[in-house]
Amino acid sequence: MKGECHNHMSLIDTDIHERVSYQELLPYLEQPWKRYITDCHWIQEKHMPYTQPAVAGVDRADARVPDGRPAGSDLGFMQEQLLDSHGHEYGILTGALDPSPSSMHGWYEMATALASAYNDWQLDHWLEKDSRLYGSVHIAAQEPAAAAREIERVGSHPKMVQVLLPIDDILWGDPYYHPIFEAAEKHQLMIGMHHNEPPVHFGKWPKYFIEWHTLIPTAHMNQVTNMVFSGVFDKFPGLKLMMIEGGFTYAPFLMKKMDQQYKDLRHEVPWVKRMPSDIIRDHLCFTTQPLEELKKWELMQMIDQMGSDELISFSTDYPHWDYDSPERALPPRLDEDLKTKIFSENARQFYPKLR
Amino acid sequence: MQKVIAQTEDIPPGEMMEAEFDGRPIVICRAADGEFHAFTNLCPHQGAPLSKGKLCGAPEPTDYVGEYNYKNEGNILRCPWHGREFDIKNHGRMLANDKQKLREYKLFIEDGNITLYK
Ligand code: FES
Repeated sequence: MKGECHNHMSLIDTDIHERVSYQELLPYLEQPWKRYITDCHWIQEKHMPYTQPAVAGVDRADARVPDGRPAGSDLGFMQEQLLDSHGHEYGILTGALDPSPSSMHGWYEMATALASAYNDWQLDHWLEKDSRLYGSVHIAAQEPAAAAREIERVGSHPKMVQVLLPIDDILWGDPYYHPIFEAAEKHQLMIGMHHNEPPVHFGKWPKYFIEWHTLIPTAHMNQVTNMVFSGVFDKFPGLKLMMIEGGFTYAPFLMKKMDQQYKDLRHEVPWVKRMPSDIIRDHLCFTTQPLEELKKWELMQMIDQMGSDELISFSTDYPHWDYDSPERALPPRLDEDLKTKIFSENARQFYPKLR
Repeated sequence: MQKVIAQTEDIPPGEMMEAEFDGRPIVICRAADGEFHAFTNLCPHQGAPLSKGKLCGAPEPTDYVGEYNYKNEGNILRCPWHGREFDIKNHGRMLANDKQKLREYKLFIEDGNITLYK
């Protein structure tokens, strides 16, 4: 299977989900936080009325660890099934989304403790155990000062490449959250945004999972629009944003729409000093998964409309059910130069610590 | 060419087994009625190993919103990745798009042996 379609090309996979059990976090938590898990059975709040209705829930049915542990929980099995079999050069860990400290709707002190514990666990169990793996700093973003302290604490680690912000119901461009971006920029960390459980239906969830899953890109569009019009990239010129797991096919529309709106309504956001599409081209990148079975001409049109072939980076989303295969997800017979950019060079240019 | 792939008692109804025939990965499915069907083990979408999916049923098409008629238990092969459904009693046709189907292999049963041939 290795390299069948991408010709032994270097592969930087920009979305891999490792999974922690609360039990594994305990050694990294102090009291009183620990006892809220052991004695009081804290679990991450969930909001959606449905489950992920694939064969094995949120995971690929063949990704469960052979000894029965959940998918994504064992480095050895991930190496065998993903990193070795596809010949990954690097993989970026983007968290299991549970716990997702920045998604908590209260008790930010617990969220802050969980974020620190998660970062330490991630470093010990993954990043320092496989030279190919790079990671994301988890924070409790609802408390920007504490979040910035956590970025200061672990952000200079050479294997941490970005700060993870979930896409739920907070728009992160507001100046209240800018201490996070300031700390990230200082440590050469990019921002990675990945949806958790965004309420894509007027602040709630649509009736069916298929609707929610179809509309995830709208939650990504909210964040891109908000970050650009909040002037984040004018204020932090070194900061970049990776939009993870929303695909990229919404980008051509959004760039066109934002430019036209900016020409009409610039006066409302005078802190934005350039065309939105230029800001997006200079500061954003989009992971490819979940790809929409594009034909080559369709993909080339999208790239043409984005005005750059450097805005998309391949991602598998392993071990989740909507995984994209490096060999099969993109249309066949793409130019070698473009494949090199999508599979590795765009990610390498995006993350300074990979260079 | 022909090859004995498995014994009938190896696969209970509603179960699958992966095997190889003519140098290619295949999946032998035993339907709810006890009959055997053989297909490519590579999902036509992105190549997932179908044998790691599930033989289950599926709600049949209906004209009424909100109506779920779960039918064909054991006859619908669902892919382990994106969950596309293939009807093993209808030549592996995909439920969402019956123009697509799994490559099917011919087989016969004799003395408890499942033999594939072409
Ligand atoms: S690989 Fe089978 S449904 Fe996608």
